[in-house]
Amino acid sequence: MRLHTAAIDKSRTRRFLDAVNIPLLVWTVALLVYGSIMVTSATSGMAGASALARRHVVGIAVGLVPLGVAWLIDYTKLKHWSGPLMILFALLLVSPRIPGLGDTAKGATSWLQIFGVRLFQPSEPAKLVFIVIMAALISEYEGKIDTPRDAARVLGYLAAAVVLIMLQPDLGTGLVFVGITAAMLLVGGMKGRYFAVLALVAALGVVGVLGIDSTLDRMAGHDVALKDYQKDRLLVFIDPGRDPAGAGYNLAQSKIAIGSGGVSGTGLGSGTQSNLHFLPERHTDFIFAVLGEELGFTGAVVLLGLYLALLVTSLAIATSSRDLYGALIVAGVMGMWLFQILENIGMTVGIMPITGIPLPFMSFGSSAMVTNMGAVGLLLSVWSRRYGT
Amino acid sequence: MATQPQDLKSRFAALGAVVIIVLTVLLIRLWSMQVLSGDRYAALAKNNRIREISLDATRGRILDRKGRALVTNRATLAVSVDPANEKVRDLIIRAQSADTDDDPTRAELEEAFGALATMLHMTPQEVFAKVADSKVEALRPRVVAVDVPLDVVAQLAERSQDFPGVRIEETSVREYPYGSVGAHVLGYTGEISEAEFAASDPTSGYELGDIVGKAGAEAQFESVLQGDKGRRLIEVNASGKPQRIIDEQPPVTGRDVRLTIDIDVQKVAEEQLAAALTEAHRQNFNKAKAGAAVVLDVTTGEVVAMASAPSYDPQVFLGGISEAEWKKLTDKASEYPLNNRAIMGAYPPASTFKVVTGLAGLDAGITYSGKSYYCPGKWTEMGAQWPKWCWKHSGHGTISFEGGIEESCDTVFYEIGYQFYQREKEELQAYARKFGLGSATGIDLPGEVKGRVPDAAWKKKFNEKYPEWQTWLPGDTVNIAIGQGDLLVTPLQMASVYAGVANGGVVMRPHVLKDVLDSEGKVARSYTPQELSDVGASSDDLGIMRRALVRVTETGTGAGAFRGFGVSVAGKTGTAQVAGKDDYAWFCGFAPADKPRYAVAVVVEQGGHGGSVAGPAGRNILAKLLGEPIKEVHTTDVSR
Repeated sequence: MRLHTAAIDKSRTRRFLDAVNIPLLVWTVALLVYGSIMVTSATSGMAGASALARRHVVGIAVGLVPLGVAWLIDYTKLKHWSGPLMILFALLLVSPRIPGLGDTAKGATSWLQIFGVRLFQPSEPAKLVFIVIMAALISEYEGKIDTPRDAARVLGYLAAAVVLIMLQPDLGTGLVFVGITAAMLLVGGMKGRYFAVLALVAALGVVGVLGIDSTLDRMAGHDVALKDYQKDRLLVFIDPGRDPAGAGYNLAQSKIAIGSGGVSGTGLGSGTQSNLHFLPERHTDFIFAVLGEELGFTGAVVLLGLYLALLVTSLAIATSSRDLYGALIVAGVMGMWLFQILENIGMTVGIMPITGIPLPFMSFGSSAMVTNMGAVGLLLSVWSRRYGT
Repeated sequence: MATQPQDLKSRFAALGAVVIIVLTVLLIRLWSMQVLSGDRYAALAKNNRIREISLDATRGRILDRKGRALVTNRATLAVSVDPANEKVRDLIIRAQSADTDDDPTRAELEEAFGALATMLHMTPQEVFAKVADSKVEALRPRVVAVDVPLDVVAQLAERSQDFPGVRIEETSVREYPYGSVGAHVLGYTGEISEAEFAASDPTSGYELGDIVGKAGAEAQFESVLQGDKGRRLIEVNASGKPQRIIDEQPPVTGRDVRLTIDIDVQKVAEEQLAAALTEAHRQNFNKAKAGAAVVLDVTTGEVVAMASAPSYDPQVFLGGISEAEWKKLTDKASEYPLNNRAIMGAYPPASTFKVVTGLAGLDAGITYSGKSYYCPGKWTEMGAQWPKWCWKHSGHGTISFEGGIEESCDTVFYEIGYQFYQREKEELQAYARKFGLGSATGIDLPGEVKGRVPDAAWKKKFNEKYPEWQTWLPGDTVNIAIGQGDLLVTPLQMASVYAGVANGGVVMRPHVLKDVLDSEGKVARSYTPQELSDVGASSDDLGIMRRALVRVTETGTGAGAFRGFGVSVAGKTGTAQVAGKDDYAWFCGFAPADKPRYAVAVVVEQGGHGGSVAGPAGRNILAKLLGEPIKEVHTTDVSR
């Protein structure tokens, strides 16, 4: 309230500029343009290429809605909505498991038109819901999580979310949850030695999941929980020589594509590896491989530079937040982006296991696009309310 | 900030450090791969020895409502020519180049494909036309013939040196255990066209040369029937020759689709349509060559049978249709047998439309049960200079509203139509639209037409260039009232109207999909019946109309066709006038009249009279559905 009278004195433009974080918008738009160029290049020569490029742009346009909505919502109000948000979160993650959800109501005619085509992946928006829930939880400790009991409670929430996502099962998104939580706990003031415990538990968890899953598969006589291909991907990461043409095929082809790009790349649309169909999923999860081949190290540096700018701007917004809760939301979004960048680019260059995680703002796919635009909206909400209302 | 600023600052710094570390790690890795080892990877890329080839999935089957396979697959031997063969490749490149001087000569084609062509009973030019087809993916073997007899296969294999690039492959083609029965509903398959390929969903993985559904259920349910392609990774040597299979992901067979069609009823419907054509010829309507019949389940909208004449044999499309066959199927002289007239044919409904006019009149209070009319034969209400004739020129004399339905008296409906005109609200057209006329029913089959319900706005637009024809006249409404004028309906729409009357005024959306089965043959998803529209007719009015329609088959214009029929039928005959053609014969109805289950619509183009040509066909189709004996009926009808 202190600043309220001052705000009235400011001109309209001035107030608008205050509400908008110009650098954040600039970096976002730059990434979206870069992504659209790469998707267009990656899809050229595929069946229905122009339709695909158009769908990418439509995804961006649709993303403006969650961006605007998240911006307009006073994020401080979200703090009191944890209960309903948890129900929403659970519904989002469980919904793909409910047979025929939303389809029977529309009848078979419309269902056939969308047959086999997912409307959206609920696990994507669930990431934002998760961030908001965790921010409310962690902010309760007012920046100090130093008893095992407190740490256990926070990690318990994370564990519950991971269990829910493994129902699908979607290992990649589960790991994103861990990345989000780690970033939030860092800002939320968890004791250093608990991080070591977290890392240990995560590592043991992956090994344990693999072990338990194999046992479960044997007991059930068929594939339960983790799919065999998911296990293969993890095992290939641990031992790349295991099967260079089978599960290791994607990795090998992607590395060849990126490596052969050299310093300046082969030029947009003329990547031989991607155009000769060697590169799988080249417009979605492996978009970076196309970028690496066609635009080379130069193009990769530009992309990493844009990500750096985006994350530094986000950090500035976190610092300016009027409360810890807002800072935690920003930290969560940063954790989400950073982890996805690390995992996606990392897998294409062979330093991370292959999981289906899209590259923020770059990969084709509306669910992720809409989610990331919504995340930008959340950041703007924190920024524009930094002085209080 | 509410909490210790000092503490938080260091935590933000730590988060910033994590960002820097992660991006730096990626940067270093990229530096090492792209800048330091770039040349090594470039060499690897050049020698990339792994090739991916896709494996076609078997198409799902199409079953009838009782699970009998209507379209299935059978393995067959196909002869194809490999475009990678040097000699063949040279000919293809020369044929496809812009330079026509360079085209392969007759002698060259004779030399390359002469022996093969003789064995396949083709000409060398025909063989080469398939080999040089630019629509097929460059490296895919070109199928020249399927269903090649075993002795031919044996000879080709023995003397393989004489046949450059020729390969024998086992392939799977569509099989039709019931021959051409249901051809229009089932549709046919063919190679994906360039336009279809460009428009396809990229994630579906189509390639040029793929076989896709082209018409009917095959096209409508393509995404379900298609299945998922497999892929095989093969290692090749420097010259591109396959060395070994490295990895194989088997294709996933498409899903089976169960239709609402009952193949037994379908067969009878097609036979009866053919019989109606014969009967028309017997009555000297010699131009009768085409028609359609539809059977609907009135409570669900399920299409139990849908026949269209003339028909075609879907087998001619296997392995690519020849140009001569295609010409025959798309020629006017053969009456366009590929068209499914049940949904693509738009006809004036004639007297079968009197059900709509009658219910609209009852609803508007223009007429009522037992209302008395006088039919002088020549009706001059619109003025002596605009006379309209009842089909019975001598007149029906004094006749009730119900009698007007029973005897199909035009005068009764002229009167009703004229009153609608005078009310100036286009209520008759609005009522027809409530039954779904004038717009597509939305049936799950491609190519449905909308038909037309004319009104003043339409007439004005239609005659844009002729101002003197733009005014809506009383005669226009009067013509609609007897189902003539500019009114156009499809047989499916008309069956839906009668199904709606039978179903308490609720029209269900007609559909052919019953369910989709999973790989174990269990139902994966079922079609949920949907309401297309609720006409909002009162049960009193519907009762009046139903009783009048029963009188049609008992003592009226349909009595001849239904003599001796064991179940009470509500029906209506129609005889449509079409400029420059012989009359079109109609029959629409539903049965059992008191507890309706099925609605049927039959139309015979240029077949003459509804009661004697379409009526008997409708009778026998209903007989099949209700367990009554089917019998040949010869009767006379002079009504419209």
